[in-house]
Amino acid sequence: MKHQFILSLFLFIWSNSVMTQEKYCPYSVTGKVLDIVTKEPIANVTIKIQDTEKFTLTDKVGNFLIDDLCSNNNTLIISCLGYSGSTSHHHHENSSLPHLYLTQKVTGLDEVTVQAQKIKEKGTETISQVTLGKNEITGDATQSLAAALSGLQGVTFTSAGTNIQLPVIHGLSGNRILVLNNGLKHGFQNWGTDHAPEIDITSANSITVIKGASSVRFGPEALGGVIIVESNSLRLNTPLYINLGTGFQTNGGGINTNLEIVKGSNKWGYFLNGNFNKIGDRKAPDYSLTNTGKEEKSFSFGVLRHLKNWDFKIYYSFVDQNLALLRSSIAHSGDAFVRALNSDAPIIIDPFSYDIDAPNQTIQHHLAKAEINWYSNKGKLSLRGGMQLNKRDEFDVRRNSKKPIIDLDLITYDYQLEWRHPNWSRLDGLFGIQYFSQDNDNNPGTDTTPFIPNYNISRYSAFGTERLKFGKNTVEAGVRIDFEFDDVRGRKANQNIFRDDYSFANLTASFGYSRQLSENTSFRTNLGTAWRTPNMAELFSFGQHGFKTTFGLLRFTDNNGVLSTDDILPLDKSVVEPEKGYKFINEFKTYRNGNFHNLTVYSHYIENYIFDRPIGVFGTIRGPTPAFIFDQANALFLGADYSWQKELDKNISGILGFSYLWSKNIIENVPLINQPPISTSLEIQWDLGKVWGFKTSKWIIRYSYTFRQLRAPRTVLPQSLIDGSKIITIDSEIFDFMNAPRDYFLLNLSWNFKWKNLSGSIAAQNLLNSRYRDYLNEMRYFADDLGRNLLFTLNYSFKGKNNK
Amino acid sequence: MKIHRFRNFRLIALLFGTILVTSCSKDDDVPEEENELEVITDVTLVFTNTADANDVVEATAQDPDGIGIQELVILNEIDLDAGKTYTLTFEIFNNLETPGEDIGDEILEEANEHQFFFGFSDNAFTNPAGNGNIDTASDPISYNDKDENGNPVGLSTTWTTAVTALSGGTFTVRLKHQPDVKTSTSGANDGETDFNLLFSLNIQ
Repeated sequence: MKHQFILSLFLFIWSNSVMTQEKYCPYSVTGKVLDIVTKEPIANVTIKIQDTEKFTLTDKVGNFLIDDLCSNNNTLIISCLGYSGSTSHHHHENSSLPHLYLTQKVTGLDEVTVQAQKIKEKGTETISQVTLGKNEITGDATQSLAAALSGLQGVTFTSAGTNIQLPVIHGLSGNRILVLNNGLKHGFQNWGTDHAPEIDITSANSITVIKGASSVRFGPEALGGVIIVESNSLRLNTPLYINLGTGFQTNGGGINTNLEIVKGSNKWGYFLNGNFNKIGDRKAPDYSLTNTGKEEKSFSFGVLRHLKNWDFKIYYSFVDQNLALLRSSIAHSGDAFVRALNSDAPIIIDPFSYDIDAPNQTIQHHLAKAEINWYSNKGKLSLRGGMQLNKRDEFDVRRNSKKPIIDLDLITYDYQLEWRHPNWSRLDGLFGIQYFSQDNDNNPGTDTTPFIPNYNISRYSAFGTERLKFGKNTVEAGVRIDFEFDDVRGRKANQNIFRDDYSFANLTASFGYSRQLSENTSFRTNLGTAWRTPNMAELFSFGQHGFKTTFGLLRFTDNNGVLSTDDILPLDKSVVEPEKGYKFINEFKTYRNGNFHNLTVYSHYIENYIFDRPIGVFGTIRGPTPAFIFDQANALFLGADYSWQKELDKNISGILGFSYLWSKNIIENVPLINQPPISTSLEIQWDLGKVWGFKTSKWIIRYSYTFRQLRAPRTVLPQSLIDGSKIITIDSEIFDFMNAPRDYFLLNLSWNFKWKNLSGSIAAQNLLNSRYRDYLNEMRYFADDLGRNLLFTLNYSFKGKNNK
Repeated sequence: MKIHRFRNFRLIALLFGTILVTSCSKDDDVPEEENELEVITDVTLVFTNTADANDVVEATAQDPDGIGIQELVILNEIDLDAGKTYTLTFEIFNNLETPGEDIGDEILEEANEHQFFFGFSDNAFTNPAGNGNIDTASDPISYNDKDENGNPVGLSTTWTTAVTALSGGTFTVRLKHQPDVKTSTSGANDGETDFNLLFSLNIQ
């Protein structure tokens, strides 16, 4: 019954007072701690000034005072032990900010900002993770989810041009990364590098990246990690808040506008969000990238109803996208592919336009969720139900041009029941069951053999995770079991029907330990395993799409070196095995004298790792065509992420970042394809504070340097395959059609400000207009990446005075 | 308290009712049969002697599995007699379907979107002379047919072989699909390639 609930909360106190003297200690801070809901004072809360021995407890009416402070810039650590009775603890659920109130009376100080450390998700406390807040997300409202995360160490993206970007965590992407969209696994066509999660980042309030292999709680298959996207949280007792944002960018003539409305009373909370983006053809430094625009509309809302011991939530979101792909990426024949590869500039360059023509994709994604939370002295019970509809049409440049080549409807149902039990002695834990199903259907009228078959997936899951805290140590263990049943119906090239059904039992397990080594230093380590069923594209892909032909693991047979794609093996009779990943990840964080170091080191062994790779250039009636197949091998990934933040001055700080990954196919002793190269970055932030009438004003300059991927497979040029001077068989060493692109520097600069109710930024991306190609961008075969882009954003926000 | 509880259940029912009703329906839909418009598996060039309808020379290219991984096979060389005049026509089929589908009819229907282009060893023919119109669209080819806009199509062409023998020459035929692109000046690199086949050519 005795709950322990620890909240750490950092209070940054800024001042524009210029009188900062070392031995002069005139500052003091006083305040009052209140529960935001009950407005009752909280007694015996510990308030400590970081890096000093000074601390105090709040008195019976919640007041505290700490004086004789030598600096006007202090970090307060506020912890309240035992503050979490069954009636009050749920008040901390709904927000990334703990609802601890502070009435400040700060002597000699000017402004108080409260920032909360995000409470770690249950079952992931010992896994390295990072959270992005609202400000970091919406700096560029038109960017993709993956691009927003790519500034984090160890996270990058793989893409099919600027409009389609998929997050990569520690070298793994696609459905090895679980994207949780408001508590539900985002149900989309999660295969290939040309399908990105359809999530509008302006509707996100926070995005957390968990870099471990074992998301016991959230779902199976997440070998790479988990990305948790949380919408505008539904908050109680929040005054009306309205934000109207608008933006313009020079590269592509892009415009953006978004609106957000949030309000909470003591029984209700709601939010409303809408966003519109339109961008035309982008530009590389030397030429226009014809057909690279996009149009995006999204809308979401949520309602919270709070009753004593109960919370009811509903949430709905809709995203509509029309994404263009580079016109020159379509090369129907090997000769055209060779021409495209050898050409410095894309083959087709038209004048700038907002038009979106083939190749392009249109997607509509609906997500509806209902959630009930019940709080009692028997713990917390949550029931979530969700339904998603993903409609996707893809258009290639075709002879009978206007019809989509891929036309799929995917319906996803997800039901989760979770019970967070009350503390059993010192054990804190969560148990849950889940039913998840997907139904994928091809819509008729594509005039081509379906690239992906029709299928139904049903999955039944159960998990449990427990945490034990003793002293400065935390031990965490979790296990999850999933039973998956798959039923597949497709067509062969001769239009005969094929069927397959199979089932998998997948295990996810995690064991971790973390220790607060000292007040400023923490260490966490986690050993986890996650298994993954091969996805439909990896098994059944068939046919030409874009510039290449792709064949899934079950779609081709090797008869003594003679390849055939006429027959389809049943999974049970094939050699295909599920992926099994084992990841060991360690994180060390320390903060001392203005230096903040964060080092993450990991090793990841994946049995039966599935990847697609070029297999050759095959003669067709149209001419030779580049072909790709899926393959399996055991793979090893070793890597490290490091960041060092240093406060150079009161207002200037620098952040040095470094990500390193080494990976290998250990069966054949060759490198893997499409793995992120080493990258480094240096960011300098200069906070000018209040100048020229601005409330805040901040400059950020960011240099990034990406190495050439030296661990890329060898290069075999397509012309040498076409003219027969190089012969490739299924047993030949892995290769790529082009050398990995050379290293590159990028310079970004931005200025952010706040003035009255307005906030905004002016940012320059690729300020030096550098020519570069990114190894993980499939368009690297055809064109340079984006040139200079200037972004202007302006937000107007209105805050009501009270919450009535 | 009773009212409260009742309200709670009503809310629960409301939230989950809609979702539950629509879920859990397992189906067994098979993707519908698609008419593979873009697949061509067999192309046969038929050279018929204008003086003797029984004197027919055929050469076939076959891609047995369409978009599948098997290589294209050129089954025959083109062996023509010297100093004779031939009419060239085509048999174009998708034999993945049973019965095979005649793509030639489709090309005829969409004649104003299609054109055949030819390339061959220099001076293999006295008519047309030169090396064909793949490199330069205005080079001579003796087209026997025209689309509704008066532009050549190439389902039928006339060829007069040179009197000198030729061994190991080449004959390329390329079918282009040029919707909204085909004009009197459009060439072999405009639009999309339907097929592009390289045969060996012998004249004796």
